[in-house]
Formats: sequence, C-alpha cells, structure tokens
Amino acid sequence: MASQPTSRPEAILPPRSEVGVIGWLHANLFSSLLNSVLTLVSGALLLLGLWFGLKWIFFAADWTVISELGGRFLLGRYNTEAACDGQNCFWRPQAALIMVSVLLGAAWGLRSNQVARTIAWLVAGVSAAFAFLPYSLETMGLDVRILLLLNLPAVPLGWALARYTPLGTGTRITILGVAIFFITLILMRGLPGLPFLQPVSVVYWGGLSLNLILAVGGITLSLPIGISLALGRRSNLPVVKVLCIFFIEVFRGVPLITLLFMSQTLVPLAFPEDMPQNSLFRAAVVITLFSSAYMAENIRGGLQALHPGQAEAARALGLPGWQTTLLISLPQAIRNVIPAIVGQFIGLFKDTSLVYIIGMLDVVAIGRSFIQSNPEFLPSARELFVFLAAVFWIFTYGMSYVSGKVEDYLGVGIR
Amino acid sequence: MAVEETTTDQGVEDIIVCRDVHKWYGNFHALKGVSTTVKPGEVVVILGPSGSGKSTLIRTINHLEQHQRGDIIVDGIELSGDIRNIDAIRREVGMVFQSFNLFPHLSVLQNITLAPTKVRHWSKSQAEEVAMELLTRVGIPEQSAKFPAELSGGQQQRVAIARALAMQPKIMLFDEPTSALDPEMIKEVLDVMRELASTGMTMLTVTHEIGFAREVADRVIMMDEGNIVEEAEPNEFFTNPRNERAQLFLSQIL
Repeated sequence: MASQPTSRPEAILPPRSEVGVIGWLHANLFSSLLNSVLTLVSGALLLLGLWFGLKWIFFAADWTVISELGGRFLLGRYNTEAACDGQNCFWRPQAALIMVSVLLGAAWGLRSNQVARTIAWLVAGVSAAFAFLPYSLETMGLDVRILLLLNLPAVPLGWALARYTPLGTGTRITILGVAIFFITLILMRGLPGLPFLQPVSVVYWGGLSLNLILAVGGITLSLPIGISLALGRRSNLPVVKVLCIFFIEVFRGVPLITLLFMSQTLVPLAFPEDMPQNSLFRAAVVITLFSSAYMAENIRGGLQALHPGQAEAARALGLPGWQTTLLISLPQAIRNVIPAIVGQFIGLFKDTSLVYIIGMLDVVAIGRSFIQSNPEFLPSARELFVFLAAVFWIFTYGMSYVSGKVEDYLGVGIR
Repeated sequence: MAVEETTTDQGVEDIIVCRDVHKWYGNFHALKGVSTTVKPGEVVVILGPSGSGKSTLIRTINHLEQHQRGDIIVDGIELSGDIRNIDAIRREVGMVFQSFNLFPHLSVLQNITLAPTKVRHWSKSQAEEVAMELLTRVGIPEQSAKFPAELSGGQQQRVAIARALAMQPKIMLFDEPTSALDPEMIKEVLDVMRELASTGMTMLTVTHEIGFAREVADRVIMMDEGNIVEEAEPNEFFTNPRNERAQLFLSQIL
C-alpha cells in the first residue's frame, strides 16, 4: 500500500517535473531526444490514420447495405414466411429481449451495481433507439417499435423486483437468469399445440441472436464443466483422472471446425434414425465442450499456482477435502486466472461464427449470404465487414470491461 | 476462554502418544522411530538443526504428513488411514505455520469464522463473537475487517493463532511460528504464545527461540537426523546437556 504523506517536517512534495500535465508529458513522451522524435513520428502516423479512417467512415463509405440488411442482421431468416408459416413471429425474440432488460435491471437493483446499471441502460437504450429507425411502417411495424420501446420500463421494473420483492437475492436472480435463458429458447423454438407459439425450425434461427444464444449457453456451462474437469484431472482417483485427461486432450487437440463437422455427420449415426435431430443443439454442445477443455486447463493452472500451505491450513482446521477445494482453493485459483477465463469467453463468442460451416446463418454468414444474393451490394462488402467487426468488438470489449470491474471488486493484484 | 485444560497432574492420560514413528520421503528416512508422549497442558519445545525432522514430526500429529510405520494416538484417537479419524483429530488440533497461510481472499474475521461455521456448524453471529474475543486476546480487534495482505507479518501470525484457537482445540502445534518475522514482530507473537501457555493449553512448538523455550517450556526435545537425541526440562537441557549432539547444537546457537 502507498504510504500516506505524514506531518513530519522532512516529508515534502515530489519535484514539479514529476507531477501534473507537464510532468506526465515529460516523463512519458519527451523524456529524451529519441523519445521525443518517436512521439512526434508516431503521433503523426496516428493522426494520418485517424484522418483517412474517419474520412472513409463519414464520406466515402456507403452504409446502405447495413440498413438494407435490417432485422436479418439480428434474427437471420427467423421472421420469414417459410420459417413462421405466415404468422408474425417477431414478437417472440422481442419478448426475450425485454426479459433480458428486466434481468439486467434486477442485477443493477441487487447491490446497486454501477456496471450492471450501465449495461442495463445501454442494452435497453440501444433497443429503444431501434424503434426510431427511419424505416417505413410496412417494413417495421408499430407493434415492433412499441415492443422495442418496452425495454426502457423493463429496466426499472427489474430494479424494483430486486429491491422490493423476495426475488432480490443473488441466488434467485441467477435462477431467474437461467430461467429466462430457457424461456428464450422455448419462445424462439415454439411449442407444438400452442397456436401462438408456432414451432420455428432451428435452421431458420440466425443473425446476432444465434451468436448470443450459443455464446451465453456456452459461457455459462463451460465454466462449471471446466472446473469439474480441472478438479478431475487433479484427482487421486485414477479412473476419473484418466477420463478427464482423455476428454481434455481430445477436445483440445481437434480443431473446432472438425468437431462441428463430426457433430453433424458422426453423432446422428449413434442415435436411432427416427429421433428428432437438432443441429443447433449438437453445435451448442460441441462449442461448449470444446471451450470447457480449454477452461479446465486455465483453472488447473490457477490451482497449481496456489501455495500448498493454503490447502494445508484448511485441512489442519478440520475442513473436509471438498470444502477445502470449494472455499479455499477454487476461489483463489479462479481469481488468479480471470484474464485467461475471460479470454476463453471472448474466444468462444467469436468461435460461434464457425457454425456457418454446418449451414447455420450466424451474423457473419447472414451478411455474406445477403451480399451474395444481392450482387448490387458486392462493392459494399467492405462496409459490411467493418460493421460486423465493430459489433463483435463491442461485445468482446464489454466482456473485458466487466472482467476488469470484477477484478477491481475482488482486489486482484492488490491483495 | 475457550479452552479449559488446566490440569497438569502426572496421573492424567497422555494426550499425544508417538510410538516408533517412521516416515520416509521417497528413500529419505526423515523420522527414524520417534517415540514420545505429551500430557495435557504440557508445553513442549522441539529444537534441532534444520533437516532433523522437527517439522515433520509435528506435521504427522495432525496427519499433514502420513507416517508409514508406528502408532500415533491423539486424544484417544488412533491416526490411521481412516479419513473420519483424521478429520476428528484435526478438529482438536490447531496448527500455526511458519508462513502464516492465512486465506488471502477472506477478511481477517472470515479467516477466523470459516472453520467454526463450516466444521463446528456454529451460527455466524456466535462464530463472530468468539472471533472478536480471540482478536481482542491477540491484541488486534481493530483489524477484523481488513484483508491479510494489509497486515504486518506479526499481525498476520496473531490472526493465524486466533484462527486456530477459534476451533477450540485441545492441542496447538506451532511450526516455527516466528521464523518468517522481523525481530520487532517476534516478540508480539511470542507474547501471545506465552499467554496461551499460561492458560494451560497443550503446545508443541518447533522454534529457534531459546529464550521462549527456557521461560515457557515444560520440556525440551532435541532432534537430530530423524531421532530424538535428548528430552529434558529446559533448565537441565540448557545448562547441562548430556548428549554430545545437543552440546554441539547449543554451543552453536547460544
């Protein structure tokens, strides 16, 4: 910890050149002749890049391809005639989005978490802003716009639920989150027999919502599975240990693309032909298991970095082995490998795009197929992919930002 | 206070019995048939050069190290491979380590209340009350909300002692508790240990603090190369060691 300035007479302020704007500039940018030259040259290059970049974004680029892509960017072919059998299914993903807004609001209300507040208002605000997109009312109906606007009151609703109802505990909000995930899946997939929930085959799912569903499912499951595998690999039981090593090495050693192909071609052979096949489910399982194998090794690294005295002290206090692992080893191990875990989450999110190889139209694939089927937009491919890159970056940076806040909260690197 | 062991009668049953204890690390013979007994309330200091098996001996008593031959009986329970026996013994035996081994992700108070709530199933408020009493006893009640990394070494070791005492053990093992401390902090830890000894706690202490051994110990055990080479009252041991190895050791450290 930094020592506080004391009232003793010999404690004086640091030299002026070390503090303030001038001090910072001097220390970091102009500390020597060589550094001054480097500062000027790299500054000039930076400005040049910025100039051309901004000029392209605001004047040269033609962004109509994005507005033409419209809702397909978020939902793929979900709300088409073929998918929904003539019904309007658009309200279903939108209801799911509103539930997510409620959940984020609840996370904010739980402990007045400022990060959750920022994210909740960001998600709800962007969703509501979509309601004012300058499409015609035929393209984007009033009902759609109203449902989008409902995200705004959803946030304070969630906040109030967490504040003033028995729902407001961490465990219950977590359960609510899991429930919302499954309700979302049911809403999207539909239920046979319910006229207003016409089944929509998963082959019509697509766009960013597909990436998000795969990523959320994968992230929430790959952490506990990875932890179990890591513990299994360190187990004293030889069979458990060998099985975990086998699983980890197989899933880590084969490319994800290969695993995805195998999931579509080999796995169905193992089941009776008349069993309902769900390619999305198989893809989700493969992505989750693939990520779990990496996660296991991240966690194992964290466990190995712990001083053996930690577990010894816990055992000496009479804590049984499983409590020692759960209360002493794992919390410390996970804290220490948060950067690696978040790296794995980000990797998983980006890898969800690979489902295009089994014919699913994720957000990248939907963009590509749009350009291929509308050749007049071929010159706009650049704009499209810049936009997609920005979308991916926003989500991955969001994860980095949250993990940074979690590290601050836990005091990682400080204590 | 938590511990009510006050009798030091010669007639009482031994609380620790070691009979012909052997321990190997691979092919290295670390304990070569150690036999000794400890009575309730006795304060035993174990001395000896490094590598003589002092730490290994006290670590076998709560089964942090497994002995491969011989018998160890603690508070009437025989240490076997049975995990229930081991956990039962560990509940009655507190341990303080050279490197403190506080849990860095928990506050001082949580460090102390963890085992009583999880193992003894005390309520949180009861455990916290006992924890605050113990922190007052070791002299740092104001540090309860801090995290271990925010404390000095001496304070950390005092928290570690409080953490072990919170389980209300019958026996306390100290494995070089002051060896990682700056000289000015050694005293504050030894003061706590002195006070603890005066309450009648059974204590086994591996230490190089000769002053502490002289003043507090009921008995000194000198170990060398995996054997006990001399066992005597401190006065006798320090003024008139019979064993040649003990004489050499004392001439080097005094």
